Amino acid sequence: MTAVRTAEGRNATKTTPRAMIETVELTKRYGDKLALDRLDLRIDRGELFCFLGPNGAGKTTTIRMLTGLARPTSGTARVGGFDLVTDTIEAKRLLGYVPDTPHLYDKLTGREFLRFVAGLYRLDEGRFEALSTELLEAFEIAAVADRLVEGYSHGMRQKLSFAACFLHEPQVVVVDEPWVGLDPKNIRAVKRDLRRRVDAGLTVLMSTHTLQIAEELADRVGILHRGRLLHTGSVAEIKALAARQGSLEDVFLELTHDALHDPEVGA
Amino acid sequence: MRRSPFASLLWAQRRRSAHALAAVRRESLLKVVIVSVAALGIWVALFVGADLILGLVEDLGAEMLGGASLSLGDLVMARLLSTLTLVLFVLLAFSNVLVIYASLFRASDMRLLVQAPIEPDVLFLGRFVEAVVFSSWATAFLGSPVMLSWGLATEAPPLFYPALLLFYPAFVILPAALAAIAVLLVVRWLAPRRHRARWAIGVGLVAAGALLGTLRGRLRAPDLADPSSLQGVFEALGGSQHPLLPSQWLTRGLLAAARGDTGEAAFHWLLLATSAALATYLAAMTARAMLLPGFSDVAGADAAPKALGGRSILGALDALVGWMPEPTRSMMRKDLRTFWRDPAQWSQFLLFFGILGVYLLGAQQNDTLQRDGAWGAWGSGLHLGATLLILASLTSRFIFPLVSLEGRRFWILGLAPIGRAHIAWQKFALGVLATAPLPIVLAAISARRLELAPAELVLSIFTIAASVLALSGLSVGLGALYPRFDDDSPARIVSGLGGTLNFLLGMLYIFLVLATVIAVLLRSRLDEATEAALGPAMATALDPLLLTGAAATWIFFLTALAVYVPMRLGIRHLQRLEL
Repeated sequence: MTAVRTAEGRNATKTTPRAMIETVELTKRYGDKLALDRLDLRIDRGELFCFLGPNGAGKTTTIRMLTGLARPTSGTARVGGFDLVTDTIEAKRLLGYVPDTPHLYDKLTGREFLRFVAGLYRLDEGRFEALSTELLEAFEIAAVADRLVEGYSHGMRQKLSFAACFLHEPQVVVVDEPWVGLDPKNIRAVKRDLRRRVDAGLTVLMSTHTLQIAEELADRVGILHRGRLLHTGSVAEIKALAARQGSLEDVFLELTHDALHDPEVGA
Repeated sequence: MRRSPFASLLWAQRRRSAHALAAVRRESLLKVVIVSVAALGIWVALFVGADLILGLVEDLGAEMLGGASLSLGDLVMARLLSTLTLVLFVLLAFSNVLVIYASLFRASDMRLLVQAPIEPDVLFLGRFVEAVVFSSWATAFLGSPVMLSWGLATEAPPLFYPALLLFYPAFVILPAALAAIAVLLVVRWLAPRRHRARWAIGVGLVAAGALLGTLRGRLRAPDLADPSSLQGVFEALGGSQHPLLPSQWLTRGLLAAARGDTGEAAFHWLLLATSAALATYLAAMTARAMLLPGFSDVAGADAAPKALGGRSILGALDALVGWMPEPTRSMMRKDLRTFWRDPAQWSQFLLFFGILGVYLLGAQQNDTLQRDGAWGAWGSGLHLGATLLILASLTSRFIFPLVSLEGRRFWILGLAPIGRAHIAWQKFALGVLATAPLPIVLAAISARRLELAPAELVLSIFTIAASVLALSGLSVGLGALYPRFDDDSPARIVSGLGGTLNFLLGMLYIFLVLATVIAVLLRSRLDEATEAALGPAMATALDPLLLTGAAATWIFFLTALAVYVPMRLGIRHLQRLEL
C-alpha cells in the first residue's frame, strides 16, 4: 500500500512539503522469515509520524533500515533524498536516533559522551559548547554531566541519548519506544520538546506502544502488521476505519485482532 | 520435566553454546571450513613440532650418557614438563580470576539469577563449570598434541593416554577453584571500600615488581661456555619441582604413567583430584557466604558517584592525539579514557610491559658472551623473539578485543556519518600507537648493547616495527571478522575461536620473521668468522647489505600480507554487519 498523504491541520502552515523519509517497496527477509513486506512510506518535513503495531510487526526492522543499521533485502529507503545504501554517509548526517535501550559508554562522563558524539559529526568546539550546555539543561542532566555514565539510572541514560541525538541538529529523528524509564515529568518534557522541534521543521518517525502518546503527538500514524503497512492517516482517519467509535487503543486492537491471537506473532 | 537449578543452569549454558555454534554455521559455511582447516593444521603442526623437538632432546641425552638407563634427555624432559605444568597452572589461575570475576559479577544475566530462589553456592557452581570449560579448552587444544608426542617420544605404555584424560580435569579445576576463592574474598573486601582498591593496586604492583625482580635473575641467559652453567639450568628449572606444587603432582603422575607405574600414577591423581574437590567445596562455601553480598557491593559501587582521577594523564593523552583529524581524534580519546578507567585493563598492560623491560634488561647482563660469533646471533634472536612474543601476547589480549568491546554500543558508531572501514583503521592506529614505542626503544637499546653492526641494528628495529604493524593488523582484522558484541569481558572475548586463531597466526608470523632474522645474523657472523680464520677468499660472496635488504623485503612482504588480508576481511565483515 502506498501511503502518500499530506499532513493536515497545523502542518498545513509549515514549510514546503518535501519527503524527508521515503521508502519504496522496502523489504527485509531474515532467512525464510519475511520481516517487512514492500513498505511504501513517505514522511514530509515537519511531520511526526507514529508507527503502531504488535510485537514482531516489523517496526524495529524498519527503523534499523532507516538508520542504516541494517540493509534492505530489496527496495529503497531514502532520508532527505539520500539513499541509505548508496549515499549512506550523507543520509546519516541528517539523521538522529534514540534507541529503546540506551547502551552508552559506561566509562565516559555524560559530557564526555556528548563531546565524543560531537567529534563523530565533526562539530566545531564553539558549537559543541553552546549546544551541549543547552541540551544538558533542557534534558535536566546538567547536574550529573561530569559523572560516569555507569552510575546513571535508565531514565538518565535515555535523556542523555536524547541530548546526543539532537547535538548535531538533525533534520530527521527516528525514535524507538523512547518512554521506557522516563518518569511522568520527563515524559511530558520530552513530548513538549519533540513537538516544538517538529513545529520548527524537524521530521520524526516514532515507534511506540503507548497509544495515548501517539494519539496526542502524531500528525499521522501507520499501523504495521506482519511486516505490512495496513493503514496510514491522521488519528481521526484511523479511528474512522473501525466498526465502532472508540479510543485509538480500541481501534488498534480491532485492526490487529488476528495478530494478537496468532501464536506465531509475539505477544 | 523437573530439573534442579544446577542442572537448569548447565542446560541453559549448553543451549546457548549450541545456538551460538548454529549461528556461526548459518552465517558462513566458508568461515567454518577455514577455521576448522586452520585449527586442524595448527594441531598437526604442533604435534609434528613437539615430536621433532622432544625426539632431539631424547636422542641428544642418550648419546651424551652413552645409553645409560636414565639419560640426560629424561632429566631435561622431566624438568621441562615440571616447568611447563607450573606455567600452565599459573596461567590458568590468572585467566580464571578474570573469567570468574566477569561471569559472577559483571554478566548481565546475573541480575536475573541472583533474584531467583537458587542457593548462592549452586549458582556459583553453575558459573564455575562454565568458567572452567571456558578457560581450559584452549590449553587442551594446544596441550594435547604436545602430550601425545611426549607419549610417543618416551615410548609410553597405553596407560599414559587415558591417564592424560583423567589428570587434565582435576588439574584445571584446582587453579579455577583457588582463583574463585580469591575473587570472592577480594570483591567482598574491596568493593564496598573504594579507597582500599588503590592500596590493593599499589600492593599488587609492588608484589609484581618483586616477582619480576626475582625472575630477572632467573631469566638471565645461561653461559653455556661454562661447564657449571648446565647445573645452573637444572637449578633454575628445579624450582618448579617442589613436591607441594600441584603442577608437580601432575608431572610426577604423568611421568609415572609414562613409565607404566600404575600405583604412583594413581597416588598423584588422587592427590590432585581430592585437592581439586576440596578447593571446589571451599569455593562453594565461600560463595554461599559472599556471592550475594559481593554482587550487591559491586552493583552499589557502580552506581555510586566516583571521583575521576588521572586528569593530568588523560590531558597528556588528549594532547598526544590532538593533532589527529575528527572523528579519529574523538574515537581515540574515547578508547583511551575507557581503557584508563578500567584498572583490570591497564594493570595487565603495565604487567606485560614490565615483563618485557625486566627480561631485556636482565638478559643484557650476559651480553659479553653473546657479542661473539654465532652466540651473538642467537643472543640477538633470543632478545628479538622474547620481544615479539610479548608483543603478540599484548596485541592478542588488548588489540583483538577492541572492536568487540564496542559491544551493544556499536549502534553509536554505526549511526554516525563515518564509514565502517574508518572504525577498523582507527582501532589499527590505536593498536600501533599503543604497542610500538616501548618495544622499539628496548630493541634499539638491546641492539646497541649487543654491538650489532649497523645493518643488523636497522634490521632488528625494522623487524620490531613491522611486527607491530603486522600483529596490530592481524588482531584488529580478525577482531572485526569475529566480533563478540554480547560479551563485555576482554578475557572471554580473547578465549574464543577468533582470539585463539589470532594468537596462533601471530605465532606463525613471528616464527617466519624470527627465522629470517636469525638466518641473516648467523650468516653474517659465520662469514666474519670464516674471513678472520681462512681469509677473505673463503667467505661467501653475498654482500651483507644485500642479504639484509633481501630479508627486510621478505619481512615487508609478510607484514603487508598480515595487515592487508585480515583487515580487508574484517572491514568487509563490519560493512555487512547488521545491528
